[in-house]
Amino acid sequence: MLADKFSNQSIKPDSLAKVSAQQFTPLSRAYVKVNLMCRLVFWLIVVSVLLVLYWQPWFPLPKMVALYLPQLQLAAGLFGLLSSTYGVIADKNKGYAIRQHDFSYRSGVIFKSVVSQPILRIQHVELKHGPVDRHFGLANLEIYSAGGSMHTFAIPGLPEEKARELRSYVLTHSDIAEND
Amino acid sequence: MTNYHGQWLKLSPVAIIYFAVQFVKDVGNNLIYLLPAILVGYNQFSENGLVIISGLSALLLFVAISALLKFYFYQYRLTDGRVQIHSGVFQKNHIDLPFERIQNVRFEQPIFYRPTNHICMLLDTAGSSKLEAKIIALPKGVAESLKQEILSHKTEQVSNAENEQPEAEHEQILNSRSVQDLIIHGLASNRIWIVLGALAPFFNSLSEKFIAGIENLGVDVDALMASSQYAFWQYVLFFLSIAFIVIAFMALISVLGSVITFYDFKLTRSNDRYIRRNGFFTRHEVVMKLSRLQMIVYQQNWLDRVLQRVNLKFEQLGASLDRQSAGTSGGKIMVPSVTQGEANDLAADAWPENKLSAINYHPVSKRLAVRNTLIAFWLLIPLSGVLAYFGNGELAVASITLFILSTAFIILSWKRWGYAIDDNFIYLRKGLIGVNYRCFPIHKVQQTKLSQSWFMRRFKLCSVKLVLACGGQTLPFIKRTTGEKYIDTCLYQVEALRKSWM
Repeated sequence: MLADKFSNQSIKPDSLAKVSAQQFTPLSRAYVKVNLMCRLVFWLIVVSVLLVLYWQPWFPLPKMVALYLPQLQLAAGLFGLLSSTYGVIADKNKGYAIRQHDFSYRSGVIFKSVVSQPILRIQHVELKHGPVDRHFGLANLEIYSAGGSMHTFAIPGLPEEKARELRSYVLTHSDIAEND
Repeated sequence: MTNYHGQWLKLSPVAIIYFAVQFVKDVGNNLIYLLPAILVGYNQFSENGLVIISGLSALLLFVAISALLKFYFYQYRLTDGRVQIHSGVFQKNHIDLPFERIQNVRFEQPIFYRPTNHICMLLDTAGSSKLEAKIIALPKGVAESLKQEILSHKTEQVSNAENEQPEAEHEQILNSRSVQDLIIHGLASNRIWIVLGALAPFFNSLSEKFIAGIENLGVDVDALMASSQYAFWQYVLFFLSIAFIVIAFMALISVLGSVITFYDFKLTRSNDRYIRRNGFFTRHEVVMKLSRLQMIVYQQNWLDRVLQRVNLKFEQLGASLDRQSAGTSGGKIMVPSVTQGEANDLAADAWPENKLSAINYHPVSKRLAVRNTLIAFWLLIPLSGVLAYFGNGELAVASITLFILSTAFIILSWKRWGYAIDDNFIYLRKGLIGVNYRCFPIHKVQQTKLSQSWFMRRFKLCSVKLVLACGGQTLPFIKRTTGEKYIDTCLYQVEALRKSWM
């Protein structure tokens, strides 16, 4: 059996390869920019819808709504700006790392997390890109294991070229080839 | 078997009953949502008896016709190494399933199949639940030999690779449950609360009807409450006895349910396969390969603890919701209300090296309790302040009581959390009043996750989530160094041992 060369070594816990000691590659700058743009556009739309509602001449607004609409606009605008700034910080914190046998993905600002996915346990790989992503040449790499769709391992915002490379790395990996 | 090969076959005519029952069940499941409406409109219905009777007979006719049509359009074929099924009246459904993709063969014998000794055969696949195939009525002998053929098809491939003769089949009984055990299980498992929960939206109208009903009998409830001719303890006794009767009645239902589902429960093992057979009306037979076993769970609620019983669960692939809703939850093997010793025997039979019965658990950090208490504090105490300010004293007190209660529960659940590791397994203990012990092999981990909030970073803590094929398991609030060590060990064992998880 192939596993033989591994099976009987005694390994000290300290000498195991450490997930936390990896160098994480940040996501592409384009991803951060595109994300920021999307968020700003979204909040711009929200605020402008509220403005249109306020200025429109067609029907009178209920009193309560008319009274609080300016505050609501201000709050939406502020929240939009804040969440966009937070989004930039969060996006800059995201990163991935690849080792011989597994992928890791790091994310979070206040709640930080590192997800690791052994290549041996991968069931299938998907490249996803929406219309905006496609325009900017970005792609999401989604990796499914038997843990179910709740636990999909995903690396967003990869340059398309890179994403394809990673996918073929997974598909041609010896761990996967052996499984079939 | 061979004479069946290659030609399209029809089911035995008993299947017509199956289709009819299935149809009625489906309609019934949808009717549950209409039940309140029917109850409310009952009076109107009862005035138009003729309409109802004709409606019912039309429905029956419809059921009969649809069952006949379904039977007519259902055919299956066994060609070399694959099952093909064509079904459906308007929406045609073609299934083509190679034997090697079949994960699990299950038998179901509804009560109306028993006189003719037919069986419904379910073939599970690893993929989506939509690909599950059902051969609806097979004579038992044919089904058994077909099962052997499908299963041996697999072992044949393996044995060709490893040059090993498949061992002779012989089943060995691991555990059986007597009716007495099942009664205990029915008493301890409070499934009845689920029923109560489902009824909750209708409590108001039900109690109104109840009181109206009593008043119709000539009892004036208000006067009964207001009158001073009964002492306070008499009221208490009255309500206690009513509560007791209700609980006893519900326990009876629960016991009946348990006996019906698990009647004549037998868990047997033949080579590497576990077989579960149970059921009073519908006999179920579930087969699980030992290698598919992902996790062993001991489950004890507070009554189980009093009665010293354990519900043992063998969890395999796909405890996730989307599969359960497809009705394949029967793939899991649960042994109801065994004693501690029997549970340990069963666990040891499946995984001889596991130390589920003897392992010492490490407690999780007390910061978990602190954090949860803080959350409860900030949710409830300011609320009570606000309520008191607006002169709503009772609600303020209630909110403070709720805070004290939830603190007690938070501390209790923190005490229950525990984790441990040995060379091959990770153990987990959790619960509130009941306890839940879990044990899974490290090499079956699918994915790991280490997470830290800002609060946890300050105290060098982390939470670790280990995802198995049967769902994610969390170890909350453990030391960061320990968490990292667990993850590194898991990844190492998965990647270096290269053992299969299924």
